[in-house]
Amino acid sequence: MPTVEFPFLPVAIGPTEPFPNGQIAFRPLALATLRAATGKTLRCVVLLDSGADSCVFPTSFASVLGLDILKMKKQLTGGVGTSANQTYYDSLEIDLGSGIQFKSYVGFIPGLDGQGIGLLGQSGFFSYYNVCFYQRQLKFTIETT
Amino acid sequence: MASATIDYAALVKGLPAGAWVAISERTNEVIAYAAELQTAIDKAREGGENDPLIVRVPDQAVTLFL
Repeated sequence: MPTVEFPFLPVAIGPTEPFPNGQIAFRPLALATLRAATGKTLRCVVLLDSGADSCVFPTSFASVLGLDILKMKKQLTGGVGTSANQTYYDSLEIDLGSGIQFKSYVGFIPGLDGQGIGLLGQSGFFSYYNVCFYQRQLKFTIETT
Repeated sequence: MASATIDYAALVKGLPAGAWVAISERTNEVIAYAAELQTAIDKAREGGENDPLIVRVPDQAVTLFL
């Protein structure tokens, strides 16, 4: 199977009490183009998150894409340390380049605005593609067919 | 590796926490930043970058458990 290889990207985290010298977090990040049914697009960073049940993006992205969250279907979702997060749903086309392009029914969630990145989760991403993580080599691969 | 990536964390170093940042992938440069996402995009387009990469400067870079 043809695969596309991506590097893990280092993110520096400043000193904290348990990590006085700071940390470098290596994350499976990629760049994506989001396209809504409105025809509007947004280029952003996405994290491949196998722990996420589906794909989610910051609510700020919705308005830029010409979507009105007040007209979307919604449900409560939860994450580590949070629960009862109102999440709004619509369909997007997501393009990671190199032929990795798919349509996904995604959530928009206010809790991601602080990070400004999207999460590619099980339904709508891992359900389409086989992904291998090679953390020791700081890379991951996605099968393209 | 096949996919182009940008060390965007390095590019946004020194920018205000919480800012939305528009980056040119052609030049690997920050084109604009603003407190509001749409404002950052509008500024980038005024600067000739119609499809900038958007990132946000975290209020505080933290360990993530998503």
